[in-house]
Amino acid sequence: MPILFASIGEVFAERSGVLNMGIEGVMGLSAFVSLWVTFTTGSYLYGLGAAMVAGAALGVLHAFVTVKVGINQLIAGLLIYTLSGGIADFAYRKVTATSFPIVRPLPSVHIPILSDLPAVGPILFSQNILVYASFAVAIVLGLVLYRTTWGLNIRAVGENPEAADAAGINVNLVRNLCVILGAVLAGVAGASLVIGYLGLYNAGDTLVAGRGWIAIVVVIFARWSPYKAIAGSWLFGLGYSMAATFIGSGVFSSLGPSAGYFLLAIPYIFALVFMLVFHRGTKSPSSLTVPYKRK
Amino acid sequence: MMQVSLRKYLSYLLGIAASLALFSAILLAFGYDPITSLEGLVSGSFGSTFLASETFVLMTPFLLAALAFLVAFRARFYNVGVEGQLYIGALFAYLVGSQVGTLPSVAAIPLVVLASAAGGILWLALPLLMRIKLQVNEIFPTLVMNFIALDVVNWLTAGPIKDPNSGNLQTPILPRSTWLPILIQGTRFNVGIIFAIVMAIGVFFVLYKTVLGYEIRASGANPRAAQSGGVDVSRSIIAVGLMSGGLAGLAGMVVVTGAEHLLAQNFSPGYGYQGIAVAALGTFHPLGALIASVLYSALSIGGESLQRSAAAIPIELTYVLQATIVLSVLIVQKWLGDRTRRRR
Repeated sequence: MPILFASIGEVFAERSGVLNMGIEGVMGLSAFVSLWVTFTTGSYLYGLGAAMVAGAALGVLHAFVTVKVGINQLIAGLLIYTLSGGIADFAYRKVTATSFPIVRPLPSVHIPILSDLPAVGPILFSQNILVYASFAVAIVLGLVLYRTTWGLNIRAVGENPEAADAAGINVNLVRNLCVILGAVLAGVAGASLVIGYLGLYNAGDTLVAGRGWIAIVVVIFARWSPYKAIAGSWLFGLGYSMAATFIGSGVFSSLGPSAGYFLLAIPYIFALVFMLVFHRGTKSPSSLTVPYKRK
Repeated sequence: MMQVSLRKYLSYLLGIAASLALFSAILLAFGYDPITSLEGLVSGSFGSTFLASETFVLMTPFLLAALAFLVAFRARFYNVGVEGQLYIGALFAYLVGSQVGTLPSVAAIPLVVLASAAGGILWLALPLLMRIKLQVNEIFPTLVMNFIALDVVNWLTAGPIKDPNSGNLQTPILPRSTWLPILIQGTRFNVGIIFAIVMAIGVFFVLYKTVLGYEIRASGANPRAAQSGGVDVSRSIIAVGLMSGGLAGLAGMVVVTGAEHLLAQNFSPGYGYQGIAVAALGTFHPLGALIASVLYSALSIGGESLQRSAAAIPIELTYVLQATIVLSVLIVQKWLGDRTRRRR
């Protein structure tokens, strides 16, 4: 569930009023970092931790340029995408000059009894530990957002920063923390892609393969709610696996041997159709992308 | 007034100096010699007629993509889908170009040009309609359509329109009559380069010298005030949408008919995304984009030369340098801008 981690992170950043378009790049860099650290230390935990640090570093950068300096969030995010993708590919090239890092993906954890259920059993209850963790994180952070003062502060800052400031909330501190939290979760997302499934890294953004962008669409689909992000991520994850299954089975081979490429578009077409159908209620936090300067 | 523009240039120089210092530090950290690397960047981009012409060939899609982004940006319409519109523009240019081979160039080239612009507009039509009719923010539809465009072009170039005699995933070569004429023999310096520069001047003229341009800028600066002042904001957005999609389509066309003469899979190294960085570097002004696109493509061509040279600096570091330069310039600019405002 790499998409879920990334989209919960983005929910928090956007709820506080900051758009982070760079998470595709954050995922790429942290994916590489987690692979390299896990490969050299042999510890998944170190790999995950290093990916979170890499995510946090990029989060600090994004928070600095958008919250502190106040440059356009969209452009800052796209630049961070280029920057972190470049760093990741460069580092990968350096590393592969002497070795070929590869790790064994985390084993699946079978939950007794439940995983034996027909049909849904293997899908829901026979996954690696990070998948369960992503559900837990979504629920805990959902509780934080809706049931705690912190969550109320975050939502206030994203909706009406002037009023939040008047109420004594440090607007830019809340935003900085949310952006960094969002980037850390994108880091976890990148790591979960590598140590959870693939076990390797590929240059040129073919590894993350658009999951970072999809996570941003999931945020809209989920109407900025961590709970609904679970359903959204599952649906778009389904898009990815459907494309993979169709390509494998050759159902569409009558369209020609190259039709597989077209099937890769399925998750994106999903995303577009959902935006068309659910456009009502897709109202973003009021001050999203608007920097806050105290008068 | 003098003060302000002086500060603007100062911010540029400071930003570039800061990013070069940072980049040199990165190079040093990895054991490369920064002085020879930076020298290599300059000589690798303008060091010979051939390299200089390649810099201008690469400048063309950067410039057109940047114009496509900035013209919409000025009306606060964020067209992040330039990359996809560029691919569809290139596809349309190829599809029409491959059919009109029997026509003379005077007829064939305008047809190809129009087809590519139409392709770009077509690919922006859905997000544009969603924005105008349903008030859906355009950032995500335009972004998502990039990936669909890429998949469509990948599919077609791998199957239906693939050159059966080529091992590469690309179409056959276009008929000669559709090629943009070469202006300097022995290089790829073609009419498309002049065309893009004319477009930059054209966008400048529309934005700053026409009523439409005034309305566009008013809609972007403050949509509510513009609306109550009698400006039809939706009309401005439709106008910039048409211009933006068209320019993005043209950016794909100049690569296909100007430089490569065929449509290859993944031919764009992200011109559409980098165009956004170029537009930002050029302060979202069409003539600024002209200068920024030359700088940006010089860095890319210089970076490729560096990768081939004895120093063997990987191309990824050049991407890092490009992003660092744009970020530093934007940061320094914002800081200086804030300081002048506070003093007043």
